[in-house]
Amino acid sequence: MTRYILAIDTTAGTSVALLDGETVAAEVHHPSGMKHAELIGNAIAQVLTVAEAAGPQIAAVAVGRGPGLFTGLRVGIAAGIMFSEATGAGLIGVVSHHAIALELYTEHPELVQKPLLVTTDARRGEVYWCVYGGVDPHGLPVVLRGPSVGKHGELVEQLTDSYPDFNERSGGATAVWVGRLAERMVLAGVHDREVSALYLRAPDAAEPKPNQYGLGAK
Amino acid sequence: MSNLILRTATIDDLNAIMTLEHESFPTDAWSAESMASELAAAHTTYFVLESTQGKLAGYAGLSKHHSSDQSDVQTIAVSPEYRGEGHGRALMNQLLSTAAKQLARSVFLEVRADNPVAQKLYESLGFKVIDRRARYYQPDNVDALIMLLELPDAPRAPLVLGIESSCDETGIGIVRGSQLLANVISSSMDLHASFGGVVPEVAARAHLEALQPTLGKALADAGVSLEEIDAVAVANGPGLAGALMVGVGAAKALAVGLGKPIYAVNHLVGHVGADVLERGEVEVPTIALLVSGGHTSLLLVRDLLDDVVLLGETIDDAAGEAFDKVARVLGLKYPGGPEIDRAAATGNPKAIRFPRGLSLPKDMDQHRYDFSFSGLKTAVARWIESAQTAGETIDVPDVAASFREAVVDVLVTKAVAACVDHGVPRLLLGGGVVANARLREVAAERCKANGIELRIPAFQLCTDNGAMIAALGAQLVMAGREPSQLSFGADSTLSVTTVQTLS
Repeated sequence: MTRYILAIDTTAGTSVALLDGETVAAEVHHPSGMKHAELIGNAIAQVLTVAEAAGPQIAAVAVGRGPGLFTGLRVGIAAGIMFSEATGAGLIGVVSHHAIALELYTEHPELVQKPLLVTTDARRGEVYWCVYGGVDPHGLPVVLRGPSVGKHGELVEQLTDSYPDFNERSGGATAVWVGRLAERMVLAGVHDREVSALYLRAPDAAEPKPNQYGLGAK
Repeated sequence: MSNLILRTATIDDLNAIMTLEHESFPTDAWSAESMASELAAAHTTYFVLESTQGKLAGYAGLSKHHSSDQSDVQTIAVSPEYRGEGHGRALMNQLLSTAAKQLARSVFLEVRADNPVAQKLYESLGFKVIDRRARYYQPDNVDALIMLLELPDAPRAPLVLGIESSCDETGIGIVRGSQLLANVISSSMDLHASFGGVVPEVAARAHLEALQPTLGKALADAGVSLEEIDAVAVANGPGLAGALMVGVGAAKALAVGLGKPIYAVNHLVGHVGADVLERGEVEVPTIALLVSGGHTSLLLVRDLLDDVVLLGETIDDAAGEAFDKVARVLGLKYPGGPEIDRAAATGNPKAIRFPRGLSLPKDMDQHRYDFSFSGLKTAVARWIESAQTAGETIDVPDVAASFREAVVDVLVTKAVAACVDHGVPRLLLGGGVVANARLREVAAERCKANGIELRIPAFQLCTDNGAMIAALGAQLVMAGREPSQLSFGADSTLSVTTVQTLS
């Protein structure tokens, strides 16, 4: 019986894939960054149907933890947690930027010797970023710097000093590469169940100012 | 056969029952104390047969613990003058149908070995002797026969898991039909305290973190495993969009993973549906007043699944929000409801006449059942300001009590008016603000004065919770409704007329 990894990533679009090793058995990818809650259920159901796979055949659920748009990101993680609970499949947290790095280095082997900057728009002129330097012997992307949040212009200036030949890729992880990275993490024995969301920034809420009036007034 | 009435026993039947008990079991009758506690116990159901003149002709009792699928016949007796007319059989049939309703799989009883008439009755009902206990009945030294009836495998009420995430409570509840099995609520209230109100993004983040532990606890409380779940229900609105989406995403993946149907249900109607868990049904028609930090809504419910109408709602702040904001003005903590309740305890509710929003004759045409609380908050702030300017000391208990009175007065006045206007003799309260002692008190007084039956479910079922979502889902399942398609979304402004979102 084939044992699959169900991969879910909602950091940008709604992306779900079923993988047998690193081979894609089925994939549903909605690129739009909207309607994650509407799309996620059918996306999971569809990959299972296409691959004629049932819950018990899912060995693990790999979940993209972000960074990504707040509301969409949570939908995928919530779905991953609950699918794992429902089927008894293991849960594997994957940093979505790492999956983007793996995709680029795999699809463009000529770039693997070069540093790679992966960014996601964090709004207010800032980006969430991480710099990678090729892959390790397990085929896992190597983090050189980050992750962190900062102004894109300043970041590029700094990086040009240290890594004059770096490439840049911005946002857009897919479940296929989240799943492939999870598979490599399992083989390397470095996977874990941590699926907490990597948010682009802290909640925008500000603590209220002291009262303008009333008994609480300062 | 005499014409007798069969009804559920109450503690008022105790004396009559004890007279017949001594007559029927002269040597080993139960004490009045034991009988009283039997009648009162939560796990027992007693019935009496009485004549049209109210004379007791018989009684019988059944016991079943909710965690067990086994029932026991506790006792049965028919008065000598009514014997031989099939009344024992009628009582037994009542017990057996009760056992079936309570989802028992088997019914046990003990019978005296020297009572062939009773044994014959039980055998004719399908009971079989499975054991004999020597000299069980003392002091008569008579053996007991243990008899067992396996109930036919009746279709079991559906086991439904409900997920609620519309505001700051992550709720997961599990019900079997109308029976509550688990109701676990994880609140992020403390995280919002420093902000003085619920922060949607903070609430949504907390939902994600609470999912797994809340689910685990709910399953443990209910003593069921996920494979046994027949359907998943989720609140898809109204509420905070980002928060709702966590529950929706979670519920869909759960349903797909389990291969079970999903029901997207209305959060506000869920508050009304909570009553089935205490009463077995929602008596309709009923007016429902739902008051929380996010909602202040007055509903007319003629049918829980098919006919729910919004009569009115707040046009600005929810009542719970008003409590939070006024608490801040008074220098009290968040959440404001309990703080103001505490401060108001020693205050005079008539000390200050704060305005009753949307209650003037000119408002009543358009906003008869609507609420407005933002002006009240401002009125309290202005009152304090001018008192301070005048150099007066502020009596916090009086201000708190007077403010609370204004909120409660408007809520109850409009709810009672809705009952009277629509000829509906029932009012159901729901939402977190129901915890407010004064609201309960005033609602009780005015409902009594107007001949309206007041229903207030237990607080754990009033505040946002998953059990009410599961209960409403179970009602849909039992009514044979189609499940929702997986394509439904979260709808922050979902109308109460949409009890179930189909797609």
